[in-house]
Amino acid sequence: MLRCTLLPTALVGLAATLSAQDLLVRAKTVVIAPDAVLADGRFLVRAGKVAYVGQDVPADAAAKATAIDCGDALVVPGFVLPPTTLGRDRDLAEAALPFTPDLRAVEAFDPWHEELAKLPHGGFTSAILSPSPRNIAGGLGALVKPGAGGGSVAAPDLHLALSLNAAARNPERPPTSLMGAVDLLRSAFAQAKSSAAAGPDVAVLHSALQGNRKIAIAADTLSEIQQALDLARDFGFDAVIVGARDADKALDRLVAQRAAVVIGGLAPEMRLAQLQFPARLAEAGVPFCFTGRPDQARLSAALAVRHGLDRKSAWAALSRAPAQMFGVAGQVGALRQGCAADFAVWSGDPLDLGSALRAVYVDGARVHGELPSAAANPASSPAAGVR
Amino acid sequence: MIRSLPLGAIALALAALLPAQDGVTVYRNARILPGGAPAIDNGVLVVGGGKILAIGGADTKAPNGAAVVDCAGKTITPGLIDASFRAGNTPDMNENGDEVTPHLRVLDSLEPADPSFVRARSAGVTAVHVMPGARSVIGGLGVVLKTHAKDPQAMVVKHDASLRIVMGAEPSMGNRAIRGGSVDSIYYRRPTTRMGVVWAARKAFYDAKEALEKSADAPPATPSPGVEVLTRVLRGQVTAVTTARSEQDLRTALRLAAEFGYRTVLDDAQDAHMLVDELKAAQTTVMLGAPSATAIAGSAGADGADPRSVTARLLADAGVPFVITTGSNAASLDLVREAMFAARNGISSARALDAVTIEPARLLGIDQRTGSLQKGKDADFVVWSTDPLDPAAAAESVFVDGIAVQVLR
Amino acid sequence: MNAMSLSAPLLRSILRCAVAAAIAASPVFAQDLLAVKAGRILTVSGPVVEDGVVLIQNGRITKIGKQAEVEIPWAAKVIDATGKTVMPTWVVAHSQGGMRNFNENMQNVPWLTVGDAVDPASPYFEDCLRNGVGAIHVMPGNQTLLAGQGMVVRPFGRTVEDMTIAANTGIKMSLAAGGSGRLQQIRKLRRAIADVREYLADFDRRKAEFDKEKAAGAIPADKKWTEEVDRTKKGAVDLVQKKAKGWLYVPSFAELDEALRLAQDLDLQVVLGNNIDEGVGLVKKLGKPVVLDDAIEYFETDEETQKEKRFCSAKLLADAGVPFALTLGQGGPTAYPWWQLGTCVRHGIARDKAIEALTMVPAQLIGMGDQLGSLSEGKLGNLQILTGDPLQATSWVETVVLEGQVVYERSKDPRLQYLFEAEKAKASKAAGPEKKETEKKDGAEPAKAEPAKAEGGKQDAPKSGNGNGRGVR
Repeated sequence: MLRCTLLPTALVGLAATLSAQDLLVRAKTVVIAPDAVLADGRFLVRAGKVAYVGQDVPADAAAKATAIDCGDALVVPGFVLPPTTLGRDRDLAEAALPFTPDLRAVEAFDPWHEELAKLPHGGFTSAILSPSPRNIAGGLGALVKPGAGGGSVAAPDLHLALSLNAAARNPERPPTSLMGAVDLLRSAFAQAKSSAAAGPDVAVLHSALQGNRKIAIAADTLSEIQQALDLARDFGFDAVIVGARDADKALDRLVAQRAAVVIGGLAPEMRLAQLQFPARLAEAGVPFCFTGRPDQARLSAALAVRHGLDRKSAWAALSRAPAQMFGVAGQVGALRQGCAADFAVWSGDPLDLGSALRAVYVDGARVHGELPSAAANPASSPAAGVR
Repeated sequence: MIRSLPLGAIALALAALLPAQDGVTVYRNARILPGGAPAIDNGVLVVGGGKILAIGGADTKAPNGAAVVDCAGKTITPGLIDASFRAGNTPDMNENGDEVTPHLRVLDSLEPADPSFVRARSAGVTAVHVMPGARSVIGGLGVVLKTHAKDPQAMVVKHDASLRIVMGAEPSMGNRAIRGGSVDSIYYRRPTTRMGVVWAARKAFYDAKEALEKSADAPPATPSPGVEVLTRVLRGQVTAVTTARSEQDLRTALRLAAEFGYRTVLDDAQDAHMLVDELKAAQTTVMLGAPSATAIAGSAGADGADPRSVTARLLADAGVPFVITTGSNAASLDLVREAMFAARNGISSARALDAVTIEPARLLGIDQRTGSLQKGKDADFVVWSTDPLDPAAAAESVFVDGIAVQVLR
Repeated sequence: MNAMSLSAPLLRSILRCAVAAAIAASPVFAQDLLAVKAGRILTVSGPVVEDGVVLIQNGRITKIGKQAEVEIPWAAKVIDATGKTVMPTWVVAHSQGGMRNFNENMQNVPWLTVGDAVDPASPYFEDCLRNGVGAIHVMPGNQTLLAGQGMVVRPFGRTVEDMTIAANTGIKMSLAAGGSGRLQQIRKLRRAIADVREYLADFDRRKAEFDKEKAAGAIPADKKWTEEVDRTKKGAVDLVQKKAKGWLYVPSFAELDEALRLAQDLDLQVVLGNNIDEGVGLVKKLGKPVVLDDAIEYFETDEETQKEKRFCSAKLLADAGVPFALTLGQGGPTAYPWWQLGTCVRHGIARDKAIEALTMVPAQLIGMGDQLGSLSEGKLGNLQILTGDPLQATSWVETVVLEGQVVYERSKDPRLQYLFEAEKAKASKAAGPEKKETEKKDGAEPAKAEPAKAEGGKQDAPKSGNGNGRGVR
């Protein structure tokens, strides 16, 4: 059923690419990045990337481009969903073994997966597909994107996913306790530090320690977070803490060790300290973002704003921050020159739950929604009515 | 000018002698039980900067300008020390993957915000010794912690304070014979009996002893971390704490220790009164678990035989050193109540109080820092509403390193 | 109506009630004269008497006063407790002690009685004597709907009849959810009571019809109405007709609303579990004293700050001005009166009020306020002699007197002797190496023989233990 609707879109997308037309996107407000907001702004999309922004758009290219006039809408960079299994937990959790750092999430990537196709519905244009935290060393994550003709992998082998949270401790296979899990990781890291020639799994750790890859550790309780930070300190890497339910109690250490935090989702019934945590993180300059299901992530950001987070930081938490935290800041998360043309058109501030999502573009191709045809540039043919 | 100069000089000299005025508090008119020393009536305790600055009778000098607290009618004791404390009842306290894991540290599994620390503090306990759970034969390394610190890292008083060994049926519980569970389960393994439990312990020590002897000739290639810890135990660098309740298990514990030549402290030791002479001969200290746990005619624990109410008195009579703990299986963390029960059953109140203050401090090797009220030690103390062994006594104010962690009045 | 038409169980229970009534009417051992001289007498109902004496005759207290002022009859047996403390024995208003299985697996069983379950040889009663408890109101367990009858027993006697002070003291009811859930339990209890009412209404209607027809001549005049109230429903019928008291167990404040509603209809005594802090106002609305379960201290965590606070239900009630009776647990610290009372005082309850909560208040609630709960003239001669203050951990009960008879002496308590003297002897004899084996055997035997002992430390009581080893419970 899904494929039926996608196929025509694919044809359209194909048509758009074949025509090799630039796109000139214009809107009342264009957010290039949270600190670069253009009023009556525009940018030029060429071959799926942002070629020129604002005043830099050459006049001749602007004239030849297909105009996408968003009217009084707000154009923001497409949101980036930080480590998630996109609901494919079964295929992304090698439960029989606790330590499999050399497994790659990209091998379990399904371009037609429903959850992937639903990302744009929440304004998300890319996600970091990650092995499940049910495994102490799950493997390598990848940056994936939804697409008109099925999803695609934008960057494989992005980060190393480790886990110290309760999901990783399984009573049916060792280690069953937190101290056992910590011991496992420590000995593995110690081995990795001393030599790379100890097998493909330790080699992955070695490479990560050299700085070639980000290391994300899933940890929720204070003891788990302390252990994760101890590992980062002792083996010399900057940790990204994923989940971080009780991280509000360890803020000082997070600041001191330049850690980053992926908050596993806020809900209205949580402790006040948890809801105010993002605001404190922003004040302290600790990078953070939200994960969960797409609608959950946006809700978390909105809740954080309600409890004191400034809007710019909230926008950053949904776009630029996750991209930076996982080393793909040049590709996604902002609409600067050279970045992918991933953007969403909103009727208002995306953090206001009343705002409607009008359209979403990935790599310059529309994957969701439709802009009113009257808004199209009268000089060119009306936008294809097929949705 | 000339008149003020000598005054100024005196002031400077005084300032050099006295500690900083900030944060110095004087507690007067209290009955002080310093721990390991005679009681002081109308006593004075001076604390500041997290340490005890002075202690003595009513004439003890206190710096000017310090805050004064009148403790008339109250009793001040050192903060209590629980030498066998159950910190949180989570599955993380037991690594079930393997029965012998000497290298694991229970500190890695501890949650600093665990409510058990809060409850311990409200009961006047200022330092605790936590060990891994009792489901493994050799569970790992224990740790001594203060029950409060600004930063969870600073709670640790002594790393690797002990190696826990458990005798008896408990480590074999949960392991299944082939009929009981699927063959693929990790719990289908030895030990399922006491024989298996002792075998596992013996094998571990045997391997360690071999490694020790080998290393005398040639250094080992890569010693397994478990063997490394066990060799430290054999060398006497880490204290072995063996949990054993029934007489049979206590004898086994002593036999094992004698066989491999290490000294062990006995934990829980409900039946210790049955082998008093052996304990004396082996110069073993006993950590007596929860004297309140069994009513005289109530049912005994799974491994126990006789009620433990009398054990303290019999050990005291025979001159076997012991401390009183809540026992890692305790339902409550009220250490002073255990001392009450021990006093009820025949030991003196002073002895009972020492058994939860200075004696555990000595046993755990932290008596330089805490365990009694002495000048220079950490300001770990409790102000009780009346004598602490009175059932109606409440821990009104509890201080850890001079920080008030509970103030009722 | 001839006796044959009465079924055997009914006959037995009538006999039992008769015996119980007889026993209750007069003390077990009559015609004795006892004088107890004590350093301190805590009468509970009046001031403390220093250097006093208590005179007991025919099982009842005849005089209390200072030794200098009271003449001791020359024929009296004198117990010299100089320097010690004498006080009434404790009264436990609600307990499941002394029975092995106290929850019947059918929930609606008002025809049962705990008299059929109480085991006189249970170590629980030995412990009661060691702790100075003189009267226990034994009731069925809390996992029930409408359980059977309770009874007040003394912890001394070879048979249940010997032990009974008062039988049929009330029907146990409970709002504890068990497996079904709170709403289900409330609904079931309401349904059960409504069913009884319907049954009664139907019974009365049919009797009225019978009388009408008899008056109209449709039924011969000599024919009598022979139907009786179904004996399995009798307990519940008495409850509904307020001829019997209901003892309702309320696990937490969430069930208090329903308890209040039920208390408007029926004569109820409420037994409260812990966790009542939110419901203290409702308890006050009951307007009657309540009985507290043995666990009176509990912790609650503040959701937001994660800080824990320690609560004491007794203190909450005391602050709200609600009278309450304490009870004792069956194992662990709450089995000891000094611990329970110490807990109350620790939380700020006045010492005298705490003592009353384990003496006079429970005595009144079980309907024996004129016989038990304090040392005053006319009441039963139940007292305990302690080595020190009753609220100290180091005080021991030396002697227990029930209705003028010495029923317990610590110096003759075999269990305590075994623990303290025999072990001590063993330890001091430990010098001899070959003695170890024999000592171990000696030490082991009393432990095995112990369950066979019926009572410990009682004078002139022949051993009734059946040597077939009652053994493991």
